[in-house]
Amino acid sequence: MADMGSGEIDSTGQLHEPWVFLTMLDQMSTNEVNIGFIYSVLDLLARRYRLNDAVVVLRDEALGTQAFRLGQKSLMNDSPANAATVPGVFCEPDVVPYVVRDVVRNVCQLALTLHLARHSADHDPLTNIANRRHFDTALRNAAVQSARYGWAFTLVLIDLDGFKAVNDRLGHAVGDDMLRSFGWALRRSVRSGDTTARMGGDEFAIILANAEGTEVLAFTERLRALLVSLPELDFSVGTATSPGDSTDPAELYRIADARLYEKKGIVLR
Amino acid sequence: MTATIEEDFELELRSLPGVVNVGISHLESGEVDAVVLSIRNQDPESVRESAVQVASLYFPDASVILEEAGAPAAVRTGYMARISLTVAEFNEHDGISEVHLTYAGRTGVGRAGSGPLIGGAEATLAALRDLGYVIPFYLMGVTKVDTVIGCSVIVAFRSLSADDDRMGIARAEGDLVSSAKATLDALNRYVTMDPDRQREELGAGGGPDDRGDEAQPPYEYE
Repeated sequence: MADMGSGEIDSTGQLHEPWVFLTMLDQMSTNEVNIGFIYSVLDLLARRYRLNDAVVVLRDEALGTQAFRLGQKSLMNDSPANAATVPGVFCEPDVVPYVVRDVVRNVCQLALTLHLARHSADHDPLTNIANRRHFDTALRNAAVQSARYGWAFTLVLIDLDGFKAVNDRLGHAVGDDMLRSFGWALRRSVRSGDTTARMGGDEFAIILANAEGTEVLAFTERLRALLVSLPELDFSVGTATSPGDSTDPAELYRIADARLYEKKGIVLR
Repeated sequence: MTATIEEDFELELRSLPGVVNVGISHLESGEVDAVVLSIRNQDPESVRESAVQVASLYFPDASVILEEAGAPAAVRTGYMARISLTVAEFNEHDGISEVHLTYAGRTGVGRAGSGPLIGGAEATLAALRDLGYVIPFYLMGVTKVDTVIGCSVIVAFRSLSADDDRMGIARAEGDLVSSAKATLDALNRYVTMDPDRQREELGAGGGPDDRGDEAQPPYEYE
């Protein structure tokens, strides 16, 4: 990193050397900022002021108080922010002008907020797997790759059997627990690179990358094995494979849906 | 750059109740070796159980370690100390006001000219800064007001960097003491805690105004 100058503040509290603003804005304008950005800002701060340690404490409505420590370390008991309950930037040694710390805290808060906002936009809050919006994008991308390069994938649609009856009999809280359990089991069953989503209600969808026939069977067996402790939770599966069945996302979805309902003994009109 | 798997992993761990920080250590190969969760006010076993479940989804081989974050800052003894106005003297010979403030065994001394009213406020401001407080205000004016219960002194401060005025009022024996106390009254939100912590909090940008703990008296008179 180039020398950033003195970065001193004058008696009116104004920062003469705006390196911290410029560097951060540069990074923020060229990246989708995530929580990893917070660590890079702390790293920048530590190099600029030759810090041994730095912690930024943020407060978020959903997450509560959150601390991020230089080097992605835990707080431990030697951390300067170990007992901190208020937002701020804590440095060792304490040599960073408060104006700079103010900027750092706000930028980090923004990074956390952006990451959470993006995560919320793409995920189902109950199961913490992707939502329909994210899944549709992933399916389109997979279909394009499949049409262009012939890469195979299988679209799996899953519908929980008798879920409505469970919901009615045991209540929505139990139903939500079951959905959470199913979501967790789904995540455990897929491989890295697969996409799982809750499409709504008790319907789930999965993109199994580079998978056909036996891989799909192995996936459903893994899923059933994880759900063995929940005998009331059974499910039906419908699949469509690209490029074999189609490379059009809508058509793949229609085929998988029809096969799913066929297995449930329901005729789609 | 979308969120990496590790970032999503960290975010999910941070969303567990009571988790205030997540430390991740890596093997030389770059794989995640262990995660250390700092937790506060939460049953460690329930957090561990959830964290192990989350870890099994992302990095099944990573070990999960829990540590208790420290006691909340509000119970630290530094918060219980008060600023005391111990000396307030006006030297008629040279027109200098001198104010001594003590906090947690330390003394801050401030001196200023311009008579006991303006000088009292300026000297108090200087004494606060001598104690280590960051006071981003300058004195705008001091005035005396006659009321039915006596003569009060009002001081007004303006922020150095924002459109933010602070006013304080006090009635005491003599103009200098009144002015000093009015200054403390105006700046009380900036002097409710240890100067070191106050600087850190100002570094946070929210300022002491955001803490919502004003029930605690900021200073005492002697």
